Amino acid sequence: MGQPLDPAPHPVTPNIWLAEFQAILQGAVGGFLFGIPLLYTVEVWLIGSTTGPRWQLVVLAVTLVGVSLLTQVEGFRQTLSLHPLEGLLESIEAVAIGVVCAALALVLLCRITLETPLSEALGKVVFEAVPFALGVALARSTLEGRRGRANETDAPSASGPERLANRRTTAPISRRVTALSRVNLSDALVDLDAALIGAVLIAFSIAPTEEVPLLASSLPPLWLLLIMAASLGLSYAIVFASGFTDRAKRQQRGLLFSPITETLAAYLVTLLASVVMLVLFQQLTPNDPWSEWLSNTLVLGLPASIGGAAGRILI
Amino acid sequence: MDKPNSPDPLTPADQALRFTQRSAAEWVTFMVASMILLALVGLICFDWQTNQNHPPAFTVTVSEAVRVTDGRYYIPFAITNTGGRIARMVQVTAELHQVGVDDETGEQQIDFLSGHETKAGSFVFTHAPQAGELVVRVASYRLP
Repeated sequence: MGQPLDPAPHPVTPNIWLAEFQAILQGAVGGFLFGIPLLYTVEVWLIGSTTGPRWQLVVLAVTLVGVSLLTQVEGFRQTLSLHPLEGLLESIEAVAIGVVCAALALVLLCRITLETPLSEALGKVVFEAVPFALGVALARSTLEGRRGRANETDAPSASGPERLANRRTTAPISRRVTALSRVNLSDALVDLDAALIGAVLIAFSIAPTEEVPLLASSLPPLWLLLIMAASLGLSYAIVFASGFTDRAKRQQRGLLFSPITETLAAYLVTLLASVVMLVLFQQLTPNDPWSEWLSNTLVLGLPASIGGAAGRILI
Repeated sequence: MDKPNSPDPLTPADQALRFTQRSAAEWVTFMVASMILLALVGLICFDWQTNQNHPPAFTVTVSEAVRVTDGRYYIPFAITNTGGRIARMVQVTAELHQVGVDDETGEQQIDFLSGHETKAGSFVFTHAPQAGELVVRVASYRLP
């Protein structure tokens, strides 16, 4: 801890903006984990489309109340007990994060386009924001449950700011370069295994539904690239950027892969799992054109990669 | 409490102190969040005021750009809900009357049509629509 940036414990975090960004990112990650199953539910879109403004306001208010109750127990920031008023402020923030994430997700899946009428778009956002907002409020308690105190008694090479900046890349370079030992290979396999378990856990309930072909067929050309980018970005954000990872444990496991390589490898594993699940449920048959295989797999790959990332930080 | 800088159990006084220690970044987040929520509520109220008092009404336009593929005539149409409220199960029918041949009909059901929303589709006939009389109309809908 001899770095000039972190000379002594101070009441204010050295970089409040980075800490705040990370808190929002953690909330968003929780929102996506909770929101994805309802995002892939055609009924929610329909209910959102047909609900009148009065009911939309009621749903929004109920969401705020529900999130406030959760926030009383634990907020999405790094504080365990909150001043009641601050709890309210934090609930408003959690609902807003949920609204933004839900809106982004709906745009990503083309449920909201430039042609969508305002009332339909609002209804969809309001209803999808409910699970997202609850997920934001629950993010820390769910995803950080296994996190031990180990990373406070961390390896001496890791100083405070460095810890914040690169979560799992603090192993010495030499170790990474010479990492192709059998032990490290099996550690990497554990990660991919965890990705597989998480992917199956989240995506298995989505694979047999009609939403996958429905979404896949309604995407404009090249939109699949955006879905791929979102899958990779969310996976990276969950494991490496949000700071949920138990770094100490990760270091013991060794680092065969750099974060980007691991994200890519895990994405391939989740895509493979998606194909297998779709074939298993006869959503894809050899008679289907290859483009359908591709689009369905990538569309299911989005929840699968989120599940896979959650698996990698929890298992 | 998992912060190393707050090892003591919090007393109510500490909690009050903590509230005042809300960082600038957190205030920025709060202000942006409130603006997002206020904008959302504002849009919902705007939609309430503008749309909800107008029942559904429809206009159907048939495009002149008829496409012929494999001897079939594809006639594009667009239906717009000119009212404010949403309509479900909007049934659009097309009838092609021609002298000397049986009438041809087409039917299309549109699940949802929000206020001011336009949806498009095509009717497919085996005879040229120019040679006969084409009638496209909305037959029915139901309220959600």
